[in-house]
Amino acid sequence: MAGMITAPVRRRLHAAVVIVGAVAALLPHCARCQITPSQANRIASALGNRVEALTIEGGDLGLTGGSYRIRGSDDDMDMDVSKFAGSGEIGDPRRLGDLDIAWQPRLQGSIGSVNAESHPHAGSRNGVGGQFATFAIEFGGGARFWLSDRFSLAPTLMGMYGHTSDDATAAASAQTSASGGATARAGWNENTWTVRPAMNVQYRFTWNRTITTLSSDATFFHTQSSGGSNSNIVDGNSGTLANSIDIDVPLGRQLYGHELRSGGFFGRTELFGDLKDGLDTQHVYEIHGRLVLDFLNQFWKVQWLGIGSSYLWGTNFRGWTVGADVAFRF
Amino acid sequence: MRAATAVDPLLFAVAIILAGCWSAPIANVRPKGDPRLIQAAIAVESVRSPAIVQSVDFQTRTVVVRNPADRAGTVYRFGKRVSNFDQIRVGDEVQPTVVEELTVYVLDNGKLPRSGGGLQPVEADAKVLAVDPSYRLLTLQYPNGRQETFKVGLGARLAQMEAGDDVVIRTIEAVAVRVRPR
Repeated sequence: MAGMITAPVRRRLHAAVVIVGAVAALLPHCARCQITPSQANRIASALGNRVEALTIEGGDLGLTGGSYRIRGSDDDMDMDVSKFAGSGEIGDPRRLGDLDIAWQPRLQGSIGSVNAESHPHAGSRNGVGGQFATFAIEFGGGARFWLSDRFSLAPTLMGMYGHTSDDATAAASAQTSASGGATARAGWNENTWTVRPAMNVQYRFTWNRTITTLSSDATFFHTQSSGGSNSNIVDGNSGTLANSIDIDVPLGRQLYGHELRSGGFFGRTELFGDLKDGLDTQHVYEIHGRLVLDFLNQFWKVQWLGIGSSYLWGTNFRGWTVGADVAFRF
Repeated sequence: MRAATAVDPLLFAVAIILAGCWSAPIANVRPKGDPRLIQAAIAVESVRSPAIVQSVDFQTRTVVVRNPADRAGTVYRFGKRVSNFDQIRVGDEVQPTVVEELTVYVLDNGKLPRSGGGLQPVEADAKVLAVDPSYRLLTLQYPNGRQETFKVGLGARLAQMEAGDDVVIRTIEAVAVRVRPR
């Protein structure tokens, strides 16, 4: 995005001018700390990418919550992502007209928050420093189409609202001096909206009671500012491509009348666009394990309930999460 | 990025090749194999439809209920663990949870070979519509088209069951009841 001479860039230039003004007002009277418009443009672009990435990380159901440390080329960032997300099909597959295809309506939702602290590297020209707090909520749906008993496609469309602020510290920090860099005004905030079309491709089969699911998810995000104090710094596109294999293994032992199940998944998610730039990460691997109790057809619509844990790693990226693992089947 | 874009078409192609076609579950199919008993006395729980109490016998712990779809009425015997049995009165609406035993057969035109030769007729109450061995779910279809899914125990031989198998259902007793006084 940064290299394109497009309307978003002009808007970012406008935002950059505002940020430059704020920076100039708060900077100590020191010639070595002044930044040029091009530097301010880079700051605004980097900040916009960061807001976009944090919104997606915090609010999208496709990315796992947890504690992360990113060691980027321009800054290091620690993130704590708390998230409650769910998705699923409603009812049994029903025939689509006269075709040998079945379909089910699908609903998806997610709500989450991110607390992130970023520290620009000394000498970096594009680092974004600050303490960010993001809240995001996402909802949408679509349908799952069963082309066979095992193979299905699920196109979906979601919308997301996000709010990112930096109440604790300055907004952006450009390392324009050896002494640590410039700071902008504190107390900024940015509201965003995101549209999220996606396609899930899934192949599922059962062997000896063990369910194996291969899935691939291609997701596109378009995020734009919709108000706030930071003058529309967000207008960009992101994407993810996630491939994973999930194993769901019944253990043949019961606890309190419910069968124990174990399993987990291994996956790789490619990041594209501003999400990749904002998190300074090209891809993320995730390995997840769970130990749950089977409640299907025994307690409301709960499929299982237990604990799960993930470890995530990738380029410049480390993270982990432990929490309740709950699945529903409607 | 190259690796990921290469994986997707490959996954898609392999999945299409292995997929076949989607087929709706059908209970009225002839199951594979020779006529036989697959398993008897598979205990399951079933929540019955709400019905109105016609009479109560506290001595034998039996209740006769009737709903619009059940003109003849149904008799339930309540187990001793049903703590609110004494609260049931004529005219109340009750929804019992009953324990049933399922016996699953492969039949040949409703008949099962006897061990000593000849054929024994078996009157089935339902047919198997779908089997989920992983989550131990057995879905039955009744003659009126109604479907019901049961969670069966770990000992159920679901791997041997399939759509079209015949099922005989025997109600044992009610083990819980929801009472709504009228």
